[in-house]
Amino acid sequence: MLKTVQFALTVWLVLTLNFLLPRLMPGNPLADLDNPLGAPVPLSQEARARIMAYYGLDQPLPIQYQNYLRGLARGDLGWSIYYKAPVGHVLVGRLRWTLGLVGVATVLYVGLGVVLGAVSAWQRGSALDQGLLLTTFATGAFPAFFLAMLLIVLFAVKLKWLPLGGAQSVALLLAPWPQRTVDIARHMVLPVLALLLTSLADVYYLTRNSLGQVLGEGYITVARAKGLRERTLLFRHALPNALLPVVTLASLRLGTIVMGAMLVEVTFAYPGIGQAIYEASIARDYPLLQGAFLVTMLSIMAANLLADGLYGLLDPRVRRAP
Amino acid sequence: MTLRHIISIFLEDRLARIGLLLLALFVGAAVLAPWLSPHDPHRMFDGMLPPSRDHLLGTNDLGYDLFAELLQGARYSLALAASAAVVSTLIGAVLGVVAGYYRGAGFVLMRLVDVFLAVPRFPLIVLIAAFARPGFLTLFLFFVLFGWPSVARIVRARILTERQQEYVLAAHAIGAPGRRIMLRHLLPASLPVAFVRFVAEMQHVIMAEAGLSFMGLGNPTTRSWGMTLSYASRYPALLITDVWQWWVLPPGLAITLICLALAFLGLGLERVSNPRLRAAAAPAGIRKSTENRAPRKGTTRGWTRYARSHQLEREGLVSGLVRLTMRSSAAPCLSCGSSRTVCQDTDGGAEIRCIKKQALFQ
Repeated sequence: MLKTVQFALTVWLVLTLNFLLPRLMPGNPLADLDNPLGAPVPLSQEARARIMAYYGLDQPLPIQYQNYLRGLARGDLGWSIYYKAPVGHVLVGRLRWTLGLVGVATVLYVGLGVVLGAVSAWQRGSALDQGLLLTTFATGAFPAFFLAMLLIVLFAVKLKWLPLGGAQSVALLLAPWPQRTVDIARHMVLPVLALLLTSLADVYYLTRNSLGQVLGEGYITVARAKGLRERTLLFRHALPNALLPVVTLASLRLGTIVMGAMLVEVTFAYPGIGQAIYEASIARDYPLLQGAFLVTMLSIMAANLLADGLYGLLDPRVRRAP
Repeated sequence: MTLRHIISIFLEDRLARIGLLLLALFVGAAVLAPWLSPHDPHRMFDGMLPPSRDHLLGTNDLGYDLFAELLQGARYSLALAASAAVVSTLIGAVLGVVAGYYRGAGFVLMRLVDVFLAVPRFPLIVLIAAFARPGFLTLFLFFVLFGWPSVARIVRARILTERQQEYVLAAHAIGAPGRRIMLRHLLPASLPVAFVRFVAEMQHVIMAEAGLSFMGLGNPTTRSWGMTLSYASRYPALLITDVWQWWVLPPGLAITLICLALAFLGLGLERVSNPRLRAAAAPAGIRKSTENRAPRKGTTRGWTRYARSHQLEREGLVSGLVRLTMRSSAAPCLSCGSSRTVCQDTDGGAEIRCIKKQALFQ
């Protein structure tokens, strides 16, 4: 119950911020038209009032706020100035690329992080453990966009193995699907690699410590005393318990990986939401910008809520707690 | 734990020492930038000069000296990250202590913290930046506003266990006022966890500022590492010629190295705040010697010495442990007869305990 109220409050906060921010900024939407340098023809008082009325900007703020919420409830995110299309349409096209990128990267970095963390916890103190620790921390310190640039230089410019950027080749747009799939996958390799390498450290380190702790518990000793094999012990008995905090972490990290994805998209000119935000901010396409912001915020928050529920499913102790 | 004890635990970790050294280098470069810099960062030379003796990293398309810009960037990035992290850690620590001490008020505050933490920070600062290219002050305020909640949460969790400690209960019993208990006992006890968050905050601010500037949403007049990278990324032939080597690589590596240094510092601080992550510190005097180093796994040599130099001596278990191997082997513990002894290594050291005796030593 409390969780639901809190979530609703957060959503309301984000929606309101999205409404208020542009209105709190100095200047007004018609500033460019009033400006003698910006407008070809000076705006008459009457024309000005007409435009304000047309866009509902002459209404008091609470009424504007009501209209804004009503529009959102209908799924109306506004009209993109740059694309001359509804913002919703533009974003749906963009969203699948970002979802694909973030989805693949998340699955890979959580999976790899857990496996490497388990290896490290098991071989704690060995050269392998130290090497893994140093490597993941080193790649994790890179800003995603910087690593992306280095990957482009190495794999796209010097070795010419993979494409420079974009999500698919224009020449293959009409090709049969196996060829297109390969093409899309090839375009995905470097962005996913950049995200994967920069996100690995946290999950790896948490798995390593949490598993190390679990391995010291009494029930593990009992399992060992029963004569179970090391592998069964590690993956059947220890790992599931050690993974609980990892689920929470992966959900908390979602905001960070979306930040990485936005920057990586800009670096690779990958046509996702991040690239849309970048283009919108350059073209001063504020409706598109705000729409992309809302979609990003709400999807991260929804995913976090989902992870919260998942945690309850995985750990009976949480379910029983009030 | 005394301060000296904390520092000695911290400095035992090699990675923490490396991190401290790296950070000191960067801070030194940032503080001394006006004297280290061969040129005024605002002076224009010929554009796109390759590195030379006069221009260590060449010049950019507008003719600004890139080495001077790199030093200037260190000043900006470090000043922003450090100030925002210091202020948000202070606010978070104080609120966290109060919220842990007065549990009713704490509950309300934590619900506010939950709301703040649920808002994804980066998209929000991107939206704000798109409307008003933020300068130093705006960024500072934003990072403080969204930085304190995570500190408050972790400090409060620490206080909730700390307030049950006997010395706090004793202070209560002799009638010490709440203000005194919070200031003298609880706040110092929360410092290690607060410092771990402080380091993470600094890292976040540096990364977020760089990302924001890279997206072209920084204030165009600032000279941060992110801004340099942003201008570089707009240069058409950046990655297909050699230009990236002196235009992209130095600021990018600077961000990477400082974040790595902070991550290492964080590891060391975590060892201080979480005793489970470290073996008991060796007694003073032998810390530097080879006796502190863990023996090789799977061998029998060196274990007596190692065990003696660690907590095991105090526990009187030394004699039986010679035959142990490091990882998860079960062997009879001679000091208590026939029971099994499990030997498990933790971060960087080893922790050896006897299952039967465990209850006695906890």
